[in-house]
Amino acid sequence: MNLKISTLAFAFALGLASLPSRATGFATCDSGPRDAWQSQDKLSALLKDKGWQIRRIKEDGGCYEVYAMNEKGERVEAYFHPRTLAPVPRGAKDHKG
Amino acid sequence: MKVWDPFVRIAHWTLVTCVLSAWATGEIKISSIEALHEWLGYAALAVIAARLLWGFVGPRYARFAQFIVGPTRTLSYARTALHGSEPRYLGHNPLGGWMIVVLLTTAAAASVTGWLSITDRYWGVGWMQDTHEAVGNALIALAVLHVAGVLFTSVRHRENLVAAMWTGIKRAPAGRDIA
Repeated sequence: MNLKISTLAFAFALGLASLPSRATGFATCDSGPRDAWQSQDKLSALLKDKGWQIRRIKEDGGCYEVYAMNEKGERVEAYFHPRTLAPVPRGAKDHKG
Repeated sequence: MKVWDPFVRIAHWTLVTCVLSAWATGEIKISSIEALHEWLGYAALAVIAARLLWGFVGPRYARFAQFIVGPTRTLSYARTALHGSEPRYLGHNPLGGWMIVVLLTTAAAASVTGWLSITDRYWGVGWMQDTHEAVGNALIALAVLHVAGVLFTSVRHRENLVAAMWTGIKRAPAGRDIA
């Protein structure tokens, strides 16, 4: 009985540990080849003009993912399309820009 | 006989749940899941703080002073374990005791770096986010090592230690067992 509980617990832990750790982003972008992308520096400059303080820009799901403090001093994590630099709404799949 | 008191057992399995769920939800960017991930971290910190306190005021086998031994005794225990002649401990054995210290510290570090990552000061600060991820992964690796140690000792002394952490009951000491 006790053995059963612990075997189950262990199997559960093992199962959880073997789950593939997929990066499931807030959004994905249909952004095509990189040579058509605009630079992160340009996006950064654009957002700074809006009064944002840029903390980090990464790529995620084919989009630019921006960590910043916005013009109101709030923490934001926002997605932008690498070709158009247009904002990508959360939950968007293969956003065309 | 009763070895693990109810607080130790509840704290143990609560922390297991927090750590595994937090690890499983770490990469999922859905707002409600992110909120859950954050609360799992706060819950883990609360459990760790309570366990630390209990380590000083709790019953015998919950106390750090009962199971934390110096490097000499720890190494000699490790050596006898390699030869298959290590004594059975009623409480935590020396290696298990140090693993508890390392796991609690690493889990606290994972929680605190995660918490800092969502403060205004460290929001989007790359090294903090990366540290949080690395510490989280290290914690899982340590937990796997912990489970391996538990299984090894269970087999060696023919005692189901996972069940013991669930029920609190272990076989009464005999022979050269260390109580």
